[in-house]
Amino acid sequence: MYGQLIIEGLSIGACYAVFGIAVVIIYKTSEVINFAQGEMAMISTFVAYHILNVYGWPFWYAFIGACVFAVLLGLFIEVCFLRPAKNPSVLGLIVITLGAEMLLMGLAGWKWGGEQKDFSLPFSFHKTHELMGGLVINDWSIAVFVMAAVLMIFLFVFFRYTKLGVAMRATQQNEHAARIMGIKVERVFSFAWGFSSLIGALAGMFFAARSTLDPAYMMEPFLRAFAAAVLGGLMSIPGVVIGGGILGLLENFFGFYWPAWKPIVAFLVIVLVLCIRPSGLFARHYEKKV
Amino acid sequence: MKGRVPLLLGVVLGMALILSAGMGFCVPPGFDDKEIRIASWGPLTGPAAPWGAVSRGPAVLAAMVNEQGGISGRKIRHIVRDDMYNPAQTKVVVKELVEKEGIFAFVSGPSSAGGLAVKDYLAQNKIIWVGPATSVKEYVFPPQPYLFSVYPLYEDEGSVLAKYVVEKLGIKEIGVVYQNDTYGRNGLDGVRQRLNHLKMKPVVEIPVEATEKDLSSHVLKLKSAGAKAVLMWVNPTTGVVLLKTAATVGYKPQWVSSNTLSDFALMNKISGGLWEGVITGAFMLPPDSDDPRVVKYREAAKKYAPEERFGVFFMAGMMFAEPLIEAFKRVGKNLSTDAVLKALNSMKGFQGVGPKLTWSPHQHQGSDSIQIWKCGPGGKTILIQDWTVNDLAHWKK
Repeated sequence: MYGQLIIEGLSIGACYAVFGIAVVIIYKTSEVINFAQGEMAMISTFVAYHILNVYGWPFWYAFIGACVFAVLLGLFIEVCFLRPAKNPSVLGLIVITLGAEMLLMGLAGWKWGGEQKDFSLPFSFHKTHELMGGLVINDWSIAVFVMAAVLMIFLFVFFRYTKLGVAMRATQQNEHAARIMGIKVERVFSFAWGFSSLIGALAGMFFAARSTLDPAYMMEPFLRAFAAAVLGGLMSIPGVVIGGGILGLLENFFGFYWPAWKPIVAFLVIVLVLCIRPSGLFARHYEKKV
Repeated sequence: MKGRVPLLLGVVLGMALILSAGMGFCVPPGFDDKEIRIASWGPLTGPAAPWGAVSRGPAVLAAMVNEQGGISGRKIRHIVRDDMYNPAQTKVVVKELVEKEGIFAFVSGPSSAGGLAVKDYLAQNKIIWVGPATSVKEYVFPPQPYLFSVYPLYEDEGSVLAKYVVEKLGIKEIGVVYQNDTYGRNGLDGVRQRLNHLKMKPVVEIPVEATEKDLSSHVLKLKSAGAKAVLMWVNPTTGVVLLKTAATVGYKPQWVSSNTLSDFALMNKISGGLWEGVITGAFMLPPDSDDPRVVKYREAAKKYAPEERFGVFFMAGMMFAEPLIEAFKRVGKNLSTDAVLKALNSMKGFQGVGPKLTWSPHQHQGSDSIQIWKCGPGGKTILIQDWTVNDLAHWKK
């Protein structure tokens, strides 16, 4: 039973991690926590659902359509909601994301209704593979592990070796200096929002396949992913992945022995980490100098 | 100083007027010679919107009565307001309906929290409320003079379902998953009541929060405890997540659920077909039944609300309004709140498409029985046990 708990904990943890990466990418460039992240993923998943069920197109067309939509949505929110803010403080921008969250949820309720919907992926949770001694793993979990691993490697390379990745890191560390060095900061922000929205949409589709699709379905996964990001360090991609894994395992073991306590584990993690090590377990802390 | 006295008096008078409005001195009557105004609140938008159908159902019953010429020359006007499943909003819309529109009686009304937020206000204004679309003990114990419950208690449902599982299915290893609130705990109490009576205990009892999306540890706990039947008092999403997660680890117990998950067309669709074989309690005849009363309602819904799906929630809205319409018919021309209260309090064994209802001045919990359904192929309803009374119900003794 412990082996199965570990597999299930790590697989949901990997899904939290992927979604946490979406949160981290925006934070890495602008130090803004995007509270609309869950609803952006929800709307993109609804677009995939719409293409599948209304137009009757094959899954991969719907998947690509939803990914393109997610990128455009991220760009739209950054350009139309955040950029027009005059002399914005980080807190002001966070409040704007809260407004965007409510707007997107209302929009989804108006367009697709509040009733739960079924959303399936080709990686079915029905299809299981026996590993050893009765331990099983399903296609959904395998796909999540692969997605998390590929994303982590890609982002590691991207942030370390590409000009755009370095520009994003530079923008986060000192926006003013980055401008002086010729970095087009607005473009960096737009890219971060589009890219983050895309990764969020990928995680959103996996979460929907595991439960149901409705306008509120991403609220709870967002909180878990945020907890994973805080645990790992809001600036560290590998930290978020490890944080997601730890959170998934903690939740599953708590859920098995003390089910009533399981829902508070994530919040306990946020509080403890913020009290003991505010920058997270794996993030390096940069002191800004005057 | 002299100039301030009239100003002060004006302020005090204004405040007194505002307060008196809240106390119901200005409530307009809920009927006249031409119409009787009844109303419902419910989540027409927002995440709980699927339950809003229960608030729209009474309009079809009103339209059916009006087509026959109304009741003693009065047409029934049904008004619906959106409370977005927010108790603060329930208070706002109910106050607006009572004080601006003038409402004779409320019917239906999902959300326990919303109902509890307006229960006392309605009683203060002597407004009748029939058939809250949820089971809350505080509504009827002790009896509230203006509130009449149709919905069977989750405790009675739990007891009847547990009896069915043990005696008819012959399963002794019972696990319970319950939402960690009044709804879930009442269901759990019913299961415990029955199993205590049979000198048994659940093999495992697992609380779950309504918002949880990862239930793998819960499912593994059920599996390791050896539960061969799992009884659930949870919300639709939690129910789907439980069944999906069980499928991932090859766990196949007999799933049994509260009537809240008995909309098989919906549940089978959102679970990707996993709902087939699930047994649930039910508080009315199946919406796809051939019973002449249901056929009549289905046809009326097609005519008056063609945009609605005739599912459990929508038909339940019609069912909750049935006893109120019956009371109006019994009272006839001499309509008054006291006369309708008298008619409701003397209702004995009244049955529409729901359970048999009996109310008295001392007992406002109308029903004590449930049906048991099974989800068949394609979400079709199979009636596997007709109306069954909880013989252990303590509230009747």
